Amino acid sequence: MGTFIQLVIDGLSTGSIYAALALAIVLVNQATGLINFAQGGMAVLSAYIAWALNGFGVPIVLAILGAIVVSFFLGALIERYLIRRFERGDPDTAVVVTIGLLTFITGLCAWIWTYNNRLFPSLFPLQTIQLGGAVISVRSLGTIVVIVVIMLLLQALFLGTKLGLALRAVAINPASAAFSGINVGRSLMVGWGLAAVLGAVAGVLVAPQLTLTPGMMDGALVYALAACILGGLSSPIGVVVAAWLIGVLENLAAVYIPFIGHDLKIAVPFILIFVVLIVRPQGLFGRKAVVRV
Amino acid sequence: MTLLELADVRAFYGRVQVLEGVSLSVPDGGAVGILGANGAGKTTTLRAVSGTVRSTGTIRFDGKDLHGLRPDQVAALGIAHVPEGRGTLSDLTVRENLRVGAYRRKDAKAIRADVDYCLDLFPQLKDRIRSNGSALSGGEQQMLAIARAIMARPRLLLLDEASLGLAPSTAKAVYQAIGRLRTESGIAMVVVEQNANLAFTLVDSATVLETGRNALTGSTAELKGMDEIRRAYLGG
Amino acid sequence: MPSTAEFWSRPWVRWAGIGLIVVLMIVGPLILPEFANQTIARIGVFAVAVLGLNVVMGYTGQVSLGQIFFVGVGAYATAYGVNAGWNIVLVFVLACVVPAVLGLLVALAAARLGGLAIAMVTIALPIVGVPLAKRLSDFTGGSQGTSARFSDAPEWTGLYDDQWQLYLVFLIGGITFLLTRNLVRGKYGRAFAIVKGNEAVAASMGVSPYRYKVLAFTIASLIGGVSGFLYMVVIQYTSPETLHFGHSIELLASMVIGGAGSIIGSLLGGAWYVLLPQITNLIDPNITAMLQGAILLVVLFILPGGLVSLPRLWRRRGRGSVAGPGGGPVGGAMQADAAASVPGSSTVGDALGAPQTQSPPPPPTTQS
Repeated sequence: MGTFIQLVIDGLSTGSIYAALALAIVLVNQATGLINFAQGGMAVLSAYIAWALNGFGVPIVLAILGAIVVSFFLGALIERYLIRRFERGDPDTAVVVTIGLLTFITGLCAWIWTYNNRLFPSLFPLQTIQLGGAVISVRSLGTIVVIVVIMLLLQALFLGTKLGLALRAVAINPASAAFSGINVGRSLMVGWGLAAVLGAVAGVLVAPQLTLTPGMMDGALVYALAACILGGLSSPIGVVVAAWLIGVLENLAAVYIPFIGHDLKIAVPFILIFVVLIVRPQGLFGRKAVVRV
Repeated sequence: MTLLELADVRAFYGRVQVLEGVSLSVPDGGAVGILGANGAGKTTTLRAVSGTVRSTGTIRFDGKDLHGLRPDQVAALGIAHVPEGRGTLSDLTVRENLRVGAYRRKDAKAIRADVDYCLDLFPQLKDRIRSNGSALSGGEQQMLAIARAIMARPRLLLLDEASLGLAPSTAKAVYQAIGRLRTESGIAMVVVEQNANLAFTLVDSATVLETGRNALTGSTAELKGMDEIRRAYLGG
Repeated sequence: MPSTAEFWSRPWVRWAGIGLIVVLMIVGPLILPEFANQTIARIGVFAVAVLGLNVVMGYTGQVSLGQIFFVGVGAYATAYGVNAGWNIVLVFVLACVVPAVLGLLVALAAARLGGLAIAMVTIALPIVGVPLAKRLSDFTGGSQGTSARFSDAPEWTGLYDDQWQLYLVFLIGGITFLLTRNLVRGKYGRAFAIVKGNEAVAASMGVSPYRYKVLAFTIASLIGGVSGFLYMVVIQYTSPETLHFGHSIELLASMVIGGAGSIIGSLLGGAWYVLLPQITNLIDPNITAMLQGAILLVVLFILPGGLVSLPRLWRRRGRGSVAGPGGGPVGGAMQADAAASVPGSSTVGDALGAPQTQSPPPPPTTQS
């Protein structure tokens, strides 16, 4: 029983990282209609910036905050000068652009900081606590709490503020939003900036555990995309639930299904996707898309 | 005083030219109709004003040249465009739709008063105030679109095919509400309509477009009397 | 004085050109140094891989991030067959058929799903493939990989190994290219282009998007298998690393940079795939990825048709058209134009304001 609880908590923790990245992807998709394959890469860059600031003597919490602020502006600038061109066109071309961006950012990190693994200081103490026979790390619990708080903040932003209203309006019908005086371009930049911030949070939370390296979030990106498919791209709550589900099931399968084991547990999200999509092509929580000719 | 002036406006979608020199003049507080068949360029004329289509020629609002302005900048000047198809913000509630309309305003108390005014103007929306835009009927969405536009307290309203897809009684009710709005607020309007009869209940004058050009212009009284209009648009 | 275009379209010039190329292919390996032959052979291997990716992505507009998986399966199938002592022709057939069957199964399941789902399914292939290859060590030799030597030059030819291998690559690769060229220029190619442009339109024309996506994907997998066979001819060793997901991205980048939807573009793509790391290794291996990404972005911005569209750009200089036919590297430009001219439909383009420059709608045909 103790093992089970441990696996679930750890699964929720890694699932939270996937959830943050998945939320970023959903945000970008709602705002600009494309899938950003570089979301994980941008998160890694944010983590490196925090690491570098820390290396210059900035205390880790301030370094992280600094990296988050920089990430916001990076995200906004990337939307304005790189992605804006491709928003009007075919989404598949836009995907290729984001793949190019991913390659470039990963390469940039490799050039500046090489492929060597870097140690990233942990925000949370490395202790464990006992809970019902299970040994749970403070880091896992902390990660879950941080992500839940972020989600609540996002909800508050979108449902309670004028900015959030504007972002939602732009996502639903950009022309109507513009006719009401909303600066659509600026809203798109803010959307990308927020997504970059979400990615940055995910990056700095997971870096202590995985050690910092240019390809650090590649795996998480795949899981996040899986969560988006499972949860449905139109449902933020859906993708978070899906991400948690993936994190937990992955851990459980690795231990309780010997055939899968730890090396093949990466197959779990894909099996889930396959099963769900056959039954419900729009994902667990999504809505059916209407295609206009 | 002329509020909106269009002179020799040409408009393009990519390389295709849709307007070949349209002229229009709207006095402060006046209402001008743009009539014509499908594809004549009525919607494009409105889009040229609100900045969603590329155009050349003169487009002046209150003396200010509108060329090169983004649609949200045009809106900020006091022009509210109610687009064809209504542009309902489907996942937002009716109340949120109205709040979006008032986006640029900062006077919270007056905004609340205006919401009440809109609900008085369009009583059907009152019961639906918390429903999502997508749950509304066509007529209700049209009312919502107009309400969203007037929440910005614009000086000029651009109405694109307000009767499209509506049952005749609903369309009549919508136009009556707009008429009441005009009387009570003195707002100027440009009304694009395929149904000339309906337009004539609202506008002081109108121009008839044909393949991107002005074919006929005159006051409502003049146009109503013309045989061409009757034949072409009123089937008489 | 005839213009360049007219010059090249004269029959005798074309035949002379082809003859020249054939002569070069026969004589070249004999006079070039070993390293050059090996490099050209590797370019051939990956040109075939890129060609396969082009069939499903460049011509049919489906994003596939799993092409390297089929290359790997072809390589593993070759290694297994050779080490089991089977006839080499049978081994070649196996290297083609096994990936094709896998591709068919994947496509049958995935082709009905939306764009993101297809991309995810294709990502799954190399990502799950690597640990699977390590697990199934009876077939694959596990993490160590397997090697298979079968491409040493036979005694009677009197050739060196590298020359013999290059001839094999020329022969098999060349035939693959020719067959594919005929495919994409024929009625199947036209069907692919219609599906790429707009699936709803395709369906209304009686061209079943599902059917042609499955067909394109299966062919792409088959060609991937051929590439895998050639991989074993040249490199003679394969391991789980061969299937690595990063290579799929590199193949994709190479395809776009060389020229999506183009036969010659596939050749250029193969050259890019092989030569870029060789060049950057001389400067600093750590800049490879960055350069790859940067050039990919540059190509997407100013040369969406890839390097192969440079001559056309040169010919058209002063007339302002940069976008290659067929729209962007993936997917149809028709959708964007259609959306812009339908009044009442809201796109981000409307809200950002009318574009101040004109972009002529590209004709809906693919390049050769």
